Amino acid sequence: MSIAEQVGAPRIVPTRGIPYPAGDPELDPEEERAWRRRLLETALRAVSTPVKRPTIFDVEESAS
Amino acid sequence: MRVVHYLNQFQAGVGGEDAASTPPQVHDELVGPSRLLARLLEPGGEQSGDAHEVVASISCGDDHAASDPGVMTEVLRLAREVGAEMIVAGPAFGSGRYGLACGRLVAGAAAEGMPAIAGMHPDNPGVDQAGGAVVVAAGASTREMRPSMERLAAAALKVAAGEPVTAEDGRVGRIPRRTTTVEQPAAVRAVDLALARLAGDRDATEIPAGLFDVVSPAGPVEDPAEATIALVTEGALVPAGNPDRLEAARATRWVHYPLDGVTALAAGDYESVHGGFSPAAANADPHRILPLDVARELEEQGRIGALHHEYLATAGNGTAVANARRFGVEWAARLHGSGVQAAILTAT
Amino acid sequence: MDTTTPATGDAPSSLLVHAVEQVVLGDRTAYRGGQLTVGVEQAHDALADPALSSVRVHATNPGDPVRIVKLLDVVEPRTKGPGRGGVFPGFLAPPRPDRPRQTHVLRGAAVMAAGALPRNQEGIVDMSGPAAEVSPYAATSNVVVEFARTDDASWEDVDVALRRGLLRLAVHLADAAAEADPDDVEEWAPPARPGPGDLPRVGVVTNLQTQGSFKDVYVYGRSFATSLPTLIDPFEVDDGAIVGGQFGHPGLRNSTYVHQNHPVVAELRRRHGHDLSFAGLVICPEPVDQHAKDHISAHAARLCIAAGFDAAVVTKEGGGNADADASLKMDRLEDAGIAAVGMFAEFAGPDGTGPPLVFPPRRATAMVSTGNYDERLQLPAMERTLGGDRVDIADADADAAMELPVATIHGSLNLLGGGRLRAQEEAA
Repeated sequence: MSIAEQVGAPRIVPTRGIPYPAGDPELDPEEERAWRRRLLETALRAVSTPVKRPTIFDVEESAS
Repeated sequence: MRVVHYLNQFQAGVGGEDAASTPPQVHDELVGPSRLLARLLEPGGEQSGDAHEVVASISCGDDHAASDPGVMTEVLRLAREVGAEMIVAGPAFGSGRYGLACGRLVAGAAAEGMPAIAGMHPDNPGVDQAGGAVVVAAGASTREMRPSMERLAAAALKVAAGEPVTAEDGRVGRIPRRTTTVEQPAAVRAVDLALARLAGDRDATEIPAGLFDVVSPAGPVEDPAEATIALVTEGALVPAGNPDRLEAARATRWVHYPLDGVTALAAGDYESVHGGFSPAAANADPHRILPLDVARELEEQGRIGALHHEYLATAGNGTAVANARRFGVEWAARLHGSGVQAAILTAT
Repeated sequence: MDTTTPATGDAPSSLLVHAVEQVVLGDRTAYRGGQLTVGVEQAHDALADPALSSVRVHATNPGDPVRIVKLLDVVEPRTKGPGRGGVFPGFLAPPRPDRPRQTHVLRGAAVMAAGALPRNQEGIVDMSGPAAEVSPYAATSNVVVEFARTDDASWEDVDVALRRGLLRLAVHLADAAAEADPDDVEEWAPPARPGPGDLPRVGVVTNLQTQGSFKDVYVYGRSFATSLPTLIDPFEVDDGAIVGGQFGHPGLRNSTYVHQNHPVVAELRRRHGHDLSFAGLVICPEPVDQHAKDHISAHAARLCIAAGFDAAVVTKEGGGNADADASLKMDRLEDAGIAAVGMFAEFAGPDGTGPPLVFPPRRATAMVSTGNYDERLQLPAMERTLGGDRVDIADADADAAMELPVATIHGSLNLLGGGRLRAQEEAA
């Protein structure tokens, strides 16, 4: 169980690294911004979803 | 004793969420549940000989009360002005802002040597804020006012009499843990504990198992396209040079910076001062900590109603849990008071 | 002493302890009658490196009105003898598995560097006063190295230079005692091989913080960051196989010095054959991300099973993030039927009422406290300071009186268990 679930955060979007929660330096700039966009869209999905307990919302890797 | 009762704007009859920003006020007469408290504190004739009089109700709007520790300092001052010898705060039930205010108030009173007690639900973040003062359990909501106030009053009588309040009286919150120097080094105690555990003692421990509170999730945002969304972070993103000197570890504060007219965070204009990870990636592109560029894009494209005009930040490096919970309540008070419906927290 | 016979893994090792009561600076390095003289020129030679434009060496002893700020690593002087090599394997020379099993130790002395380096989280050591009571480095006679960076050197270069320089200096100083009769000889059997026996097999799992530049720990000369959990002979660690380069929270760092004198290993060795059998030392990296923490913890537990541990003391390094590494291991060990005891500093806040751990174990329950991070100490003004002029966390000049949380005193929360601080509930 992740720290976020452990402390009871109700809506959680997992990201790729502690030093860059909204990014990914492994990607080139355009891809990184696209990844950031998908993170925020997932966050919007999460805040629009009713939850009762800590819930993980994974970024959906769909064919773009 | 002369008791002053603190309550929030709801309980005082001042108003609802619309009145959450009202400043502290001393009421001409006892309001709301202060009257119940007064009746419960009247000497029953059996034990205590002291006559306790609730001399005033003081109320404050929840957002205002939780926004700044100085507000409860002011409430304490007002209480002293009307002759308070003891403070009773709440019951705050599950309301985080109200609970935080109660906790701060009784902590401040206790720090000055004045008897003080608060009532709130055991999961209320305010439980952690009461410092040396006593907190007793209340129910989850106002529906449980009667039994909660009865418990609060009974414990208040004990506090007034200088008697200890224990778990049996409903005491919640942790008993303070103090550091002392003991005879045996930790390594010796650890090996002893390992052997004891192997021999069958599975309960012995120096640190009790921790329990985190259950956070009641906020209801969903109906439509993000109509909502104001805020970006917040514990990645300690601050303007270059850290003008407000946010701590890199064990933060006791948080900061806020304007985003009005800002569409992108340029490298070199912002930096992360979080001491818990290498800031190189964040400093090369601050959006890795605060995704402003994409948030503006979503705003432009109508996917969100509006991006809030400022961001809030602290450093989540070895943050005392009590402080982290307090920041959460203060952020909620500030953002809610500004009309924000949802916040996206980037966590490191 | 016979150093010609090749050593086998089961042979005992010995520490030849030479006591140091005082350290002074002088013209030539010498050790006599408990006094260590540090030859200044020789010290400068040991520390010389293109990345350092200058170094200044100071001596300070317990009880001095001295405050050391911006402390980096601390090392205990050890050697196999002049010209013999073998200590700090992988750092000063390639590891030599067949090196002699005897090592000279200058006990009561320490060499340390102090000065600004990126990410060096602020803290102090006071050689006298209330803070001295909670730091192991206030009880040693210290050789303190201040330094300046060459203009075109990177901070990483400086970090490497200081690390190598301190180790060379440590060997150089210990060499001065190599011909003297030791004050004490400690002989230690290696951990017992797995197998049937009457005594419970107790081991120790030590987590090393591995978070990149200036927050890393080195084993045999290399960062331990990408390594898997490893069973390592404590004799290797006696000889300096683990060197600290982790400059985070001062109270929560494990310096080279405490690895060389690992308190849990020392206790297990002391009781080996009496009420327990010392089963071994496992070292693990502390990765930052959750998946890696899980993966490393599972591997560590499998290793402990293979080594036949009945019980393990689990130690950590660092703050709340590192609680997770320790707790995950404790739970995995308990799941495998191995009794786990975790050693933690607490984060209970200034009034001691906060939850003690950021990430407590879920199934394991036995824990030892090394004190509350936030307990406040009142420190007096000091006459002399080394390592810097300011203590920014107190917003004060370094020699001023100040109030600081105990966690800013180096080594105070002693995460390998060498300290006597403990947090517990106030008596009602």
